[in-house]
Amino acid sequence: MSTPVIEVSKLNKTFSAGRADVQALADVSFTVEQGQFVTLVGPSGCGKSTLLQIMAGLTGPTSGEVRIEGEPIRAPMPEKIGMVFQDPTLLPWSTALANVEFPLDLRGVDRATRRGRCTALLELVGLREFADHYPHELSGGMRQRVAIARGLAQDPRLILMDEPFAALDEQTRTRMGHDLLDIWEKTRKTVFFITHSLAEAIYLSDVVLVMSTRPGRILDTIPINLPRPREIDIIGSEAFGRLRNRIWHMITEARA
Amino acid sequence: MRPRTLKALAIAAAWLVAWEGVVRLGLINQIILAAPSDVIRAAATDGGLFLDAFATTALEIGAAIVIAWALGIGTGVIVGGSYRLSAAVAPILSSLFAIPLIILYPLLMAWLGIGSMSKVVFGVLSGFFPIALNTIDGVRAIDRRYLVFARSIGATRLQTYARIVFPLALPSIVSGLRVGTGLVVIGVVVTEMLASLGGIGFLISYHRTLFNTGHVYFGIVLALVMAVTVNIGLTWVERRIGLWRTLEQANG
Repeated sequence: MSTPVIEVSKLNKTFSAGRADVQALADVSFTVEQGQFVTLVGPSGCGKSTLLQIMAGLTGPTSGEVRIEGEPIRAPMPEKIGMVFQDPTLLPWSTALANVEFPLDLRGVDRATRRGRCTALLELVGLREFADHYPHELSGGMRQRVAIARGLAQDPRLILMDEPFAALDEQTRTRMGHDLLDIWEKTRKTVFFITHSLAEAIYLSDVVLVMSTRPGRILDTIPINLPRPREIDIIGSEAFGRLRNRIWHMITEARA
Repeated sequence: MRPRTLKALAIAAAWLVAWEGVVRLGLINQIILAAPSDVIRAAATDGGLFLDAFATTALEIGAAIVIAWALGIGTGVIVGGSYRLSAAVAPILSSLFAIPLIILYPLLMAWLGIGSMSKVVFGVLSGFFPIALNTIDGVRAIDRRYLVFARSIGATRLQTYARIVFPLALPSIVSGLRVGTGLVVIGVVVTEMLASLGGIGFLISYHRTLFNTGHVYFGIVLALVMAVTVNIGLTWVERRIGLWRTLEQANG
């Protein structure tokens, strides 16, 4: 068997907040295999984002280790890891295309290569005809699509997504999830996704990791064996409902 | 010419005629108010002298603006980029900005003489603080999520500053430039009036002591021309940057 894309082992993170220390993560371990769509779900403030920051090499753990394709991560690895945040953080003075090109531009990739690759990425996220639009001319969902295309620009093997659809309205959000699956199936990237929406987690994933309230620990790892490709109707199915109830009870009982 | 322009010219001409009339008729003392014809006569007799002075002052102002912008923005970006530095330095800069800097001029004169150097340095000092303070504010106010994004794509420190931080802080920097540049012009002209051997400020001050009101007015007109030119330049800069400032507002 090949090395897992992500190996998180015995991760702990403690913040010192004045006199008291706050433990954000407690003994977190899991692995993500090549090409999987794995979602971490948990209540707000449980340390999900802290975990993602450590996995991205943006901050260090107190103890434990994260390996990306076997290599311990200590600093961001932009050529291996693409990131999408809750806020699209687009550059307001650049067009959609220029925003997608930005990471390549900084790396010194020549204009023609950049243009070709990024136009294809905009096409992939369904924004080809919006290439010359500025962020303020795009809707919230469209901006997030640009951010997804930008996350794919350096052709990383792994995409980390930190509640990317949390700021969108319900309908846009469902639609974005559906389209994200489409993109995932076309690109065969490994996706690690964070959300607090149980439905979103189940709908998207191969595996759902359930995290407890602070200090965040992994309560369970739940394989989602719903058939793919998935249509939105699946959210109303009985199997879906059972999974949702199971995770719901797991989170609420751990809190009590 | 369009009717609006004609109308404006007609009003200006009427004002000038009225102004000339008021002085000629002796309604207002010529020492207080010089007639337009006196101003023209001053220009005709001493135009060459004024032109030299204009060049001196323009050069001083130009040099002071360039240095004040560079120092102000440079200091602002460096200080604003560090939490510790801005906590330590920003309060000092704000309190220095509150001091009427003109009280320092006698010292500058003693150190640098009464030539152009002391004017340029004083001009730079006048403009530096608002530019630096606004730049610090602009850099500090940047959404931190942009910095996380920059790190995630492997941007170097220089790239982060040049391509993300600086443009995001620009609206605030530009408002600092507007205040600071105006103060540079004032600083140079005022110090020329206090003590110097050349420049428009010097001529205004010199002719005032001789009660050559026509010359004083001509000097004032030239100083105004300079201030207006600087202002036009600033508006041009603002408009170029304003393009994405409006984008930003629409985005927020």
